[in-house]
Amino acid sequence: MRDALRARPASRRSRAWVGLLPFFLFSFMFLLLPITFLVIGSFQDGQGQLTVRNYADIASTPYIINAFHSSIEISLVTAIGGGIFGFLLAYAVILGGLPGFLRTALMTFSGVASNFAGVPLALAFIFTLGQIGLVTGFLKTYLGIDLWGGGFSLYSKIGVELVYMYFQFPLMVLIIAPAIDGLKRDWREAAENMGASSFQYWRYVALPILMPSLLGTVILLFGNAFGAQATVYQLTGGTIPIVTVIIGAQISGDVLHNEGLGYAMAMGMVAIMGIVITIYTWLQRRSEKWLR
Amino acid sequence: MTGPGFGMRTPGALQSVLEAKPRKGRRQRGSIWAWVVFVAGFLYFFLPLVATFEFSLRAKPFLAAYTNSLKDPQFFSSLAFSFVIGVLTIVVSIMLIVPTAYWVRLRVPRLRPYVEFITLLPFVVPPVILVFGLIRTYGHPPLPLTNTTLGGHALLVAAYVVLSLPYMYRAVDTGLRAIDVRSLTEAAQSLGAGWLTILWRVIFPNLRVALLSGAFLTLAIVIGEYTIANFLAQPAFGPYLSLLGNNRAYEPAAVSLISFGLTWTAMGMISFLGRGARGKVQLVGTH
Amino acid sequence: MTTNHSLFRLATAGATVAIILAACSTSGASQAPASAPGSAAAGGAMDALVTAAKAEGALTVIALPHDWCNYGATINAFKAAYPGITVNELTPDAGSGDEVTAIKANKDNKGPQAPDVIDVGLSFGPKAKTDGLIAAYKVATWDTIPASVKDADGFWYGDYYGVMTFEVNTAVVKNVPQDWSDLLKPEYKGQIALAGDPRVSNQAIQAVYAAALANGGSLDNAQPGLDFFKKLNDLGNLVPVIAKPGTIDQGATPITMRWTYNALVHRDTANGNPKIEVVVPKSGRFGGVYVQAISAYAPHPNAAKLWEEFLYSDAGQNTWLTGYCNPVRFDDMKARSVIPADVLAKLPDTTGTVFPTLAQLNAAKDLITKQWDAVVGLNIK
Repeated sequence: MRDALRARPASRRSRAWVGLLPFFLFSFMFLLLPITFLVIGSFQDGQGQLTVRNYADIASTPYIINAFHSSIEISLVTAIGGGIFGFLLAYAVILGGLPGFLRTALMTFSGVASNFAGVPLALAFIFTLGQIGLVTGFLKTYLGIDLWGGGFSLYSKIGVELVYMYFQFPLMVLIIAPAIDGLKRDWREAAENMGASSFQYWRYVALPILMPSLLGTVILLFGNAFGAQATVYQLTGGTIPIVTVIIGAQISGDVLHNEGLGYAMAMGMVAIMGIVITIYTWLQRRSEKWLR
Repeated sequence: MTGPGFGMRTPGALQSVLEAKPRKGRRQRGSIWAWVVFVAGFLYFFLPLVATFEFSLRAKPFLAAYTNSLKDPQFFSSLAFSFVIGVLTIVVSIMLIVPTAYWVRLRVPRLRPYVEFITLLPFVVPPVILVFGLIRTYGHPPLPLTNTTLGGHALLVAAYVVLSLPYMYRAVDTGLRAIDVRSLTEAAQSLGAGWLTILWRVIFPNLRVALLSGAFLTLAIVIGEYTIANFLAQPAFGPYLSLLGNNRAYEPAAVSLISFGLTWTAMGMISFLGRGARGKVQLVGTH
Repeated sequence: MTTNHSLFRLATAGATVAIILAACSTSGASQAPASAPGSAAAGGAMDALVTAAKAEGALTVIALPHDWCNYGATINAFKAAYPGITVNELTPDAGSGDEVTAIKANKDNKGPQAPDVIDVGLSFGPKAKTDGLIAAYKVATWDTIPASVKDADGFWYGDYYGVMTFEVNTAVVKNVPQDWSDLLKPEYKGQIALAGDPRVSNQAIQAVYAAALANGGSLDNAQPGLDFFKKLNDLGNLVPVIAKPGTIDQGATPITMRWTYNALVHRDTANGNPKIEVVVPKSGRFGGVYVQAISAYAPHPNAAKLWEEFLYSDAGQNTWLTGYCNPVRFDDMKARSVIPADVLAKLPDTTGTVFPTLAQLNAAKDLITKQWDAVVGLNIK
């Protein structure tokens, strides 16, 4: 039986791939071709002449270098922060001895919250921590703490990170939950039977097993924050130098308008994301091996 | 406050969770830490929503933010537009992904890495980049889609299908893993069914939960999406909400909450319909 | 690019060198002035224009917020007058620079992304003319537009002006600032915003220019304005948010520098919730003129002309005035007593307002847009 099934794809090899033609055609038209055009665009100047000027411009414009720095920093901080807190939260509801219904509630809520980004998210935080936000007002009236007067700003890195966390750790909860489920209870019991302390169990059993998926998910979170545009755009109207916002400005037009530079920056992002996804896939594969 | 704060506070918290004693001990000490973490998460989740609600109530007369929003014809037209676009996206995405994932599993497993790579690409290419690629590709002949209203809509659907690829593919693939595709196919073939019949009558019904999960998720992404719709100049809900946020005080709070409620309902339906199903329901979005 | 294009077209048509040169000198707009100016006033031509516009069936406008100069009412009135023409409104929040760029970016695009008409800061008009991005057209009421604010060839023409004010949300700000120097007080930390990006937005550029006048600068010297904003930024008083009516109400930008007409209209619509106060600062009263123009690449050129006729009619000018915009034909209309008295009575006191010449304005704009990043340089901290 098994041999017969194996033989079949081989014998029809020449024709079987045709079944994937619609998919490949679609991906080519709406994903690969547009990317190709961007690559070409990034090597062209305003007159369509071949140039590497755009890439040189990135390297020589402090404003853009800063933007890459800020984007990477914000993405890293929210990926790690969101990753750690998301993990703790997921662990708390799955294995922390909390009532079972909280898990369902958290998972459903995380599904919504991880999609609650962009315009409504930015607005929600303005209403919470803005100049006349609920929490700002509460702190001022009841605790005498003047948040903004004390130097806090929603438009600082901390502010933006605080906002990004809102979609970061729900995402962590969703992705890491199956891995936490995968921690077999037998392992813990086996470790305990052998006299291992809780610390030793985590240090030598659980964390090594979880590490690849933890890191993998954190990397996904990084990409998630790195590619975000709408949230910060709505928050500031586009004045905060974040890579995605600048790309939008460079390509779709204002006085800074320089399409080629925008495309080159896009390529910079794609390169960074490419590296990130490569690491993710590699870690993913390792973690699958571990869990088997 | 919360961002790096959690990062800094974590070693202690983690340690306590880690060192918690199992069984009896864990029930108590572990629970305390679990509750602390949970309550912190709960506050962080809900305060912005409460604040949004509170802000929407500052409008006078009472509930004016809601009545004004519901009176605005653009609210309904943009929401309806995004809903229709979302449904179209789901249909196209399912028609594209189900046969592909099925075929990969059944006949061309050697192409799986390529297909998976492509479905992961939307992660590498953020929406803001994708949309400019599309405009550059389809902004001029031979296929000037951006020049016509219908072409613009079509491009929007195509872009959203691309965004939905990672989620839809993973949902469907997980769904397929749970059923015995090979036996089902052979049984159907032995009864004389053709490929279309097999897909339509056998595979689709068996993927109900996976498809629903992918579908609602796609809808949730499409309804609130801003970047692509904005740059393609489409009359969608995201750009409408953004414009409202720029021009009004209280109505955007009301509309945010309404859209949040709609997403919540969609997600609730997934977990309801997905209850008791084997495959994990994937609930991950994009921004 | 443009010139090459028309060269090619005319050359293939077998035109003589002389004609080609003539075509180059007036760029793509050579036909417009010949057919239209003055003649539209005559009933027959106006009818022909309406018919042609209706045949095009659509008009694409850009950067017209509905609260701005009561454009919402203007657009609705236009739609009501010409039901066959759909009005397609692009990015209402775009700045003047964005509008010009939108023409440039959509040269070959005849779709709804390409604007037909633009409404930009005074200095953007001549620049767009030099770049060959706008087409000449003279409305029927052309002669009543003061010569100082129109292009003699009809490429651009002033539409209205306003004075720079502080728009203050008193729910946040208890102590309303009365002059530019007040803005430096520590109590305004994180509260002051511009209504645009000074590298792009005319309103923001002119806010910086106005600040210069109040801080030792002059119409010839805008540098003190940049220095003033650098000080605001260093003090943490300036927030990196582009202020809009929504952000003012939401408390994100409690003190915003905007034109009289924007601020006053918003004060009226907010209607006390929140309470908005509009302050014409004691010093540095500065008037900003905006101009109209038709895109040289307009997909709907006749609808665009019809739109201009509509704006420059007495009714169109009065609609602007109800939105607190001083229309360019104000003096003519006042002399003929066609402005309703109640509208006149609501205008604020802006005595002492100064207007820069085009040359001064260009020099200031150049300085501010180029130096903003280096001197003020909003960065995320």
